Amino acid sequence: MIKNYFKIAWRNLTKNKAYTIINVGGLALGMAVALIIGLWIQDELSHNNYFTKKNKIAQVFQSQTFNGETGTGPALPRPLEKAFRDGYMDNFEHLVMSSWNNSQYLKYKETSISREGNFMQRGAPELFDLNILKGEKDGLREINSIMLSASTANALFGNEDPIGKSIKINGQYDMMVTAVYEDIPYNTSFKDVKFLMPWDKYVAVNEWIKNAETQWGNNSFQMFVQIADNTTMESVTSTIKDVKKNLNEDTVEFNPQLFLLPMEDWYLRNRFENGKQVGGRIKYVWLFGIIGIFVLLLACINFMNLSTARSEKRAKEVGIRKSIGSHRGQLINQFLGESFLVVVLAFVIALLIVVLSLGGFNELARKEIAFPWTNPTFWLTSLVFILLTALLAGSYPALYLSSFRPVDVLKGTFQAGKHSGLARKALVVLQFTVSVAFIIGTVIVMQQINHAKNRPVGYDKEGLVQLPTMSPEFYGKYELMRTEFLNSGAVVEMSSSSSPTTNIWSNRSGWTWEGKAEGFQEDFAWTEVSPEYAKSLNLKIVEGRDFSREFPSDSSAILLNETAVKYLGIENPVGMLFRDTDKENPSEPLKVIGVVEDMIAQSPYEPVKQAIYAFDRYDNASYYNLRLNPRQSASQNLAVIERVFKEHFPDVPFHYDFVDSEYGEKFAAEERIGQLSGIFTALAIIISCLGLFGLTSFVAEQRTKEIGVRKVLGATVFNVWNMLSKDFLKLVIISCFIAVPIAYYVMNGWLQEYPYRVILKWWIFALAMIGALLITVVTVSFQAIRAARANPVKSLRTE
Amino acid sequence: MLLQLNNLFKWVNSGGQRVFLLKDINLQVQEGEFISIMGPSGSGKSTLLNVIGMLDTFDEGEYQFLDEPVHSLKEKYRANLYKEYIGFVFQSYHLLDELTVKENLEMPLLYKKLKGSERKAKVADMLDRFNIVGKKDLFPAQLSGGQQQLVGVARALISNPKLILADEPTGNLNSKQGEEIMELFKELNDEGVTIIQVTHSEKNAEYGSRIINLLDGRMI
Repeated sequence: MIKNYFKIAWRNLTKNKAYTIINVGGLALGMAVALIIGLWIQDELSHNNYFTKKNKIAQVFQSQTFNGETGTGPALPRPLEKAFRDGYMDNFEHLVMSSWNNSQYLKYKETSISREGNFMQRGAPELFDLNILKGEKDGLREINSIMLSASTANALFGNEDPIGKSIKINGQYDMMVTAVYEDIPYNTSFKDVKFLMPWDKYVAVNEWIKNAETQWGNNSFQMFVQIADNTTMESVTSTIKDVKKNLNEDTVEFNPQLFLLPMEDWYLRNRFENGKQVGGRIKYVWLFGIIGIFVLLLACINFMNLSTARSEKRAKEVGIRKSIGSHRGQLINQFLGESFLVVVLAFVIALLIVVLSLGGFNELARKEIAFPWTNPTFWLTSLVFILLTALLAGSYPALYLSSFRPVDVLKGTFQAGKHSGLARKALVVLQFTVSVAFIIGTVIVMQQINHAKNRPVGYDKEGLVQLPTMSPEFYGKYELMRTEFLNSGAVVEMSSSSSPTTNIWSNRSGWTWEGKAEGFQEDFAWTEVSPEYAKSLNLKIVEGRDFSREFPSDSSAILLNETAVKYLGIENPVGMLFRDTDKENPSEPLKVIGVVEDMIAQSPYEPVKQAIYAFDRYDNASYYNLRLNPRQSASQNLAVIERVFKEHFPDVPFHYDFVDSEYGEKFAAEERIGQLSGIFTALAIIISCLGLFGLTSFVAEQRTKEIGVRKVLGATVFNVWNMLSKDFLKLVIISCFIAVPIAYYVMNGWLQEYPYRVILKWWIFALAMIGALLITVVTVSFQAIRAARANPVKSLRTE
Repeated sequence: MLLQLNNLFKWVNSGGQRVFLLKDINLQVQEGEFISIMGPSGSGKSTLLNVIGMLDTFDEGEYQFLDEPVHSLKEKYRANLYKEYIGFVFQSYHLLDELTVKENLEMPLLYKKLKGSERKAKVADMLDRFNIVGKKDLFPAQLSGGQQQLVGVARALISNPKLILADEPTGNLNSKQGEEIMELFKELNDEGVTIIQVTHSEKNAEYGSRIINLLDGRMI
């Protein structure tokens, strides 16, 4: 019997090729989208799964309130470690202090490479359960030891055994390799940690960290913990939340609240607003999940619609089968079986599409998703997925077709499609509602990105290159290097700064000034710069003057940005003094000599922060900013710069970034979403159009006789086209009116996250509607015009 | 007695009025009869045939088939009953276009859940008996009307029904083909199969042993 069903199904499929291509092809596309999104979601959700103790690991976070605004972050003061170790260790299995990821260069013999890594306390390899390939797990025991990732070890040592060898860090000190660990995979929070060195070394070589041991206000360190087996994250959080407040009076006014952020939340739920956890990337997991389901739904709707539209053809079969003795249940099984066959066929094609497009998708989404050929869970899920899709797509046609009464069908009085008309229309409306909403959403995402991109940055980022200069070898060499670079002809201006142009690494407070309001808790972005900073960036001075080497007093001068002036609420900022509030050992007052235009250093979606640019007295900046010679090509300039650089720092790997591309990175996340949603929208539209195309062809076929009669009575091609298109256009217009408010609501919510955002204009919606209508007209016209032009004599003979 | 209809009525409501399709039908059919139902268009011939074939329902009256009260049976049981005992032959053949001659013949047996070997034997028998072995792998569209109806009759016969219901079986055939089919019915009837046919043709009606005339849903 089953063989017989499949035979019929197969012959039906091969007989109606156009129908099959639309049906199977559309479904395959929909499934491929759902599969890819499924793999993507799986990858997102499995972030940090590499760590075996994932559900016991947490990072200690802190919320503090300034001027009524609560900020939350992982930066902690050093004394907290002692406080925890003294009184709270029964909550923790491991407690590991850590530096931030930073780039160091490692040198062995003649090989010198630059890698990111961390300084961590001894428990780290155990806490993260690093997979040790060579050497010992307890590799951070000695202060002069270093653990390398396999790729780093390979880059430095090649085939040599690295254990016990000594490498030079930043040209400063020697460390001995104690272990090689498997590289931490890309979908973890520590993917860039290519080496680990002992925390004690970090303290020993940095004076400021030594000093921080007792500074409760210096929030510059991270702390990772593994909680004890007999406790939970929540109970540890409630135990530790007031530790800082209780031990340090000075910070009480900021109400510091400590809590654990479980490793599970690091990646997907790491956004905080006013001290509350408000999600994060998880919203994209939901968003794409919903998109995937919708696209699949669209494809299933096609299947349902086309199957019921073809019911007239299948009606006779139902009648005959029933008159021969088939039960309704058997017919339902038969049609479900057919749907299953189509779905399996579509699934195979979908797999092919996924395999072929996964590379491109990975590039777009910045993933390294591999196809899970050998994963039994994947195949099991796929099977369930196939069955569900078959059921979803096949249930309506199965129930509908099997309900025909044989007498009606066999007598020929039966007009299939009449009863299902309403349901079919509803499904078409649903399809186009989704498509139109997708179009609007994508257009708005693109607009928001362009809106932020077109925002004036305040400086000239083209032709600007930055070189990291964080290792001590660079200290005190700025003047020399500036002369060398300028003389080389490749650079027309140069400056140094303590933060990159595209970020702010430091914030400061602790001043008073004339007219400062009582209780005002100031907070400024703080960047130390060389006097040529504004000149090299083409940053405009709007008031006062720039730094000048001619005034020795400029060593205690500062520049404010425009926002800072507004923030202070002072008419004439030039000449005002910022005095240190430290009574015992106050530093020199800072004098404002000028105001510069606002420049976007952080998020292009947010207002510019009030900033102070201070004269860099100690010449230990983090970056050189080079304005390239515009009369030569960038590659020529860079070749010269590299040669000069290597003359002075032969051991330091030459590394540079173009500021404009660094700035472009700020849009990467949104652009990725824009591109992905653009692709999914296109697919949704294609699938909907395939369905519409199939549907029109069946309607045209169904009405062949009517069209023939009308033409004999004098209808023109236009009349017939109009008659066939009108019905579908009506449906699409209804869809538009449903989609617009939904899209408006959702996208408006999305935009609220961006303080600097595009204003939603009515024409976006109008454009999307017109687009949808145009697509419909084109799709429908293909079939409508063909039907309208057919010779009526032929079509009337089909009776 | 094969079947018996007592005071059977069937109607539809149209514009608040009850329109009778069948009115007070009383009919007894013995095994081995060959009955022709005649009457003008719209007199209810096909409706009566469909009611007898249990494809259509009725509104009032009684219907006994092999002493089973059809009017009070559940649909599934009714389907089992006609699957077992009744074969249909249609004016427009109603073969499944997607199946070959052989597969069309096999289909009723599939619904009766016969084993593969049994099915094969019966299909081979039938092909042989109707002299269409050479056409077994052709699709209906490749056959002439007469040949298609031959397959239709063969399909109706394959499950050894007691009763064959034929709704204008020769309506779409030319006279020679029609004659062949009627001859075939005659033979079958001689072998003991009960046949009820609807026909317009006096000539075809004469093959039967009894003629029932209908007018406006009534037997006259």
